[in-house]
Amino acid sequence: MSKQQLAASEQLDVVGRKPFPLVRALVFVGLVLLGITFVLPFVWQVLISVSSLTDVDLLTQLGYPPDLKPENYGEVFEKVEFARYFFNSIFIAGWATLLQVITCAMAAYAFARLSWPGRDKVFFLYLGTLMVPGVVLMVPNFVIVLRLGMFNDYLGLIIPAAFSAYGTFLLRQFMLTVPSSLDEAAAIDGASHWRIFTQIMLPMARPGLIVLAIFAFLFNYNSFFWPLILIKDDNLRTLPIGLMAFDSTYGRDTPLIMAGSLMAMIPPIIVFLVLQKYLVKGIQLGAVKG
Amino acid sequence: MKVGSVRRRTLIALAFLLPNLLGFLIFTAGPIVFSLYMSLTDWSLTKHNQFSDQPLQFVGFDNYAKILWGSESEFFWDYFENTLFLMIGIPISIAGSLVLAIMLSTKCTPTRLGSRLKSALIAGGVTVLACLGAWLVTTPTMDPAFADEAARAVMSDETGLTDLSGFQVATLRSHAAILAVAVLGGLITFGLGIGQVFFRTVFYLPTLLAGVAMFLLWKTLYRPKGGLVNAVLQPVLDTLDATVGAVPPFMWYALGVVIWLITLALCVKLVLVGLDRLKHNEAGIAAFCARLGIVATLGATGWFVGYWSAQLPERALLPTGLAPITAAQLDSVSTDLQALASGDASLIAGAIEELKAIAPVPVEQTVESLVKPATVAGVELASLSQAVESNAGASFDGYTAGEGLQAPEWLISATWAKTALIVMGVWLGIGGGNMLLYLAGLSNIPPELYEAASIDGASGWQQFIHVTWPQLAPTTFFIVIMSTIGGLQGGFEQVMIMTQGKADTRVLAYYQYELAFTDQFQLGLASAVGWVMTGFIFVLTAVNFRLGSQLTND
Repeated sequence: MSKQQLAASEQLDVVGRKPFPLVRALVFVGLVLLGITFVLPFVWQVLISVSSLTDVDLLTQLGYPPDLKPENYGEVFEKVEFARYFFNSIFIAGWATLLQVITCAMAAYAFARLSWPGRDKVFFLYLGTLMVPGVVLMVPNFVIVLRLGMFNDYLGLIIPAAFSAYGTFLLRQFMLTVPSSLDEAAAIDGASHWRIFTQIMLPMARPGLIVLAIFAFLFNYNSFFWPLILIKDDNLRTLPIGLMAFDSTYGRDTPLIMAGSLMAMIPPIIVFLVLQKYLVKGIQLGAVKG
Repeated sequence: MKVGSVRRRTLIALAFLLPNLLGFLIFTAGPIVFSLYMSLTDWSLTKHNQFSDQPLQFVGFDNYAKILWGSESEFFWDYFENTLFLMIGIPISIAGSLVLAIMLSTKCTPTRLGSRLKSALIAGGVTVLACLGAWLVTTPTMDPAFADEAARAVMSDETGLTDLSGFQVATLRSHAAILAVAVLGGLITFGLGIGQVFFRTVFYLPTLLAGVAMFLLWKTLYRPKGGLVNAVLQPVLDTLDATVGAVPPFMWYALGVVIWLITLALCVKLVLVGLDRLKHNEAGIAAFCARLGIVATLGATGWFVGYWSAQLPERALLPTGLAPITAAQLDSVSTDLQALASGDASLIAGAIEELKAIAPVPVEQTVESLVKPATVAGVELASLSQAVESNAGASFDGYTAGEGLQAPEWLISATWAKTALIVMGVWLGIGGGNMLLYLAGLSNIPPELYEAASIDGASGWQQFIHVTWPQLAPTTFFIVIMSTIGGLQGGFEQVMIMTQGKADTRVLAYYQYELAFTDQFQLGLASAVGWVMTGFIFVLTAVNFRLGSQLTND
């Protein structure tokens, strides 16, 4: 493609024609207006979180709090074990993510690169369970975790999340795209499967691993139902459960609730801003958890 | 690779697979079978735990019968209905995602780095200037009028702010104005400088953060008084109310009739076109659907306006016929009621007159029954005073006498709570994964198709119908299936956090939680609910596949 053609194709929109300047301006205005509806609630949240309790109702009339009260943020940590919830959430989501990526990558290697009798049957079993909705698994898993003695325990939140049929499937698809000539060459050079796996497969499938890691982290960080039924002790609560309890105890103190929920939103935002490229690609490849 | 003996290869594979396979069997494959078994028993944590291990009763399909037509069916179908109602948001959200994706892929911001930086710098400069301007224009000087005690009293009365002086109020409003200008300017600046990725990120934020924290935020936004939603909505409703009041009712009727006539004409045309198509053996389902959509929209609008105008005569009566009862009147009535109890005939007559003047129609009959011996009247007194008192805050379909249209109480009201959840759901999902999928789908459409279409003289809308929509059909198909599956299982978190299951918002997932993990701990029954939901999901997915294969073949 010549330079001119390239310049021309850059100007083409999805409809294949160069849109009129007016249309482009209107679309931009539309995007900005929509952007406001998406940003406004968060601006509002910030404003409430620095208001004093008595001023919350005035916000609708004034649009700005009469007294700025950033101490609300410190108060959240005094009122409840917020730092503890934060640690629990990160700790559990972190371990679950790490273990899930490791177990899924290893299993995916076995499905994508090793040939063994019954491989396709086992893989079909994995695929089949993806069709069964999550609502079916909750109740029996609760009984299983109860019997394994992991009730009200970090382990009960981490271990069931450390395996995933979906993640195995996702990584297998990624590994299939890695050219097999690479590991065949390594095998001829006498490399063991473990070596091929760690030194060729994992680096080559890195985007896939990151996609799975993001999904697993966000999923476990936001996880609500499972810790809700499994955790009884206050100091084992994760952020979602801690926030819910906070709301039911201090629900009238809206500024505190907003300060707490705003802080809980920070880790996903950081993950997203840093790894946005991978996440978007992952979703667009159809890696959506159903 | 086939190196080494079968035994050796199997062992190696097993070594790689084992950690995952073990977890898979214990936490995924095993529980599926286990759950099926549980759903056929009376498994309950109150009967089967470490303290009381009663023998497990095998009850066959009793649990399923109980849910579908037995003692639990009333709840189950009610919650199923709620779940389906909440799923109304899915098509709205998908359509919105498509619109957003199309808007995002229109190259409406500068593409070259240089012009991007330049326009961002200009926009940023303008924003800073605008903020300064807002500061200069809105910041109040110490106006003597504000210092005046009388002016302060008026200001306080207007806003209901007793502690703040007019000067303070004006200062805060000025801060708010500057903030608004800064937010708007920031969006424009970053939009121009970063382009598509910036807006994509902004639209994706709600999906990314969808969790307890987000639902707590929306709970605050939905507060009837002091919430952002109603703060924005109420002025709109007031304007609407004033407009409606200014237009004579017959105009609304006329408008309704005209829209109906247009709809009718379009329906006739649609049928004719459809027949013609069939004759020529062109299915053209996409075009047909689009036309159907337009007709349906117009029909709905016509119905809405027609319905609304039918309400008008009564609404017009409200201010005079049902003037709000003032506290003073209420006081005097209750004094009269006490007098009634004493049985004094002249006082009774006076009280009846007074009640007739202020009470709604039904009370009149009660008043007549009062012209009875005082002992009997005493019994009626309670109901009469109740009727009067409840009328003091009477509200008719969002219309409180004398106060105009009121914004709904959202999460508290059984009428509006589900709508509130739908609106939030659309906001949450519209810029999420679906939008990203559509973006990818749009960028995969070969440009030659559009070139060919525009050479054939197709308009923008025709290109959308004949190129974009059919090309995106597989994406839409995937999105619809995934959303339906998610929608049937979803809603638990929202309901738990935002309404605590009140206001008629319980969904199937909440029901399952309630059965399994609150007072009765009926795990068997809850498992059965899970399998019934699975059945629904399979049926809906099958329907989607059927419709989808027609759509994609079109």
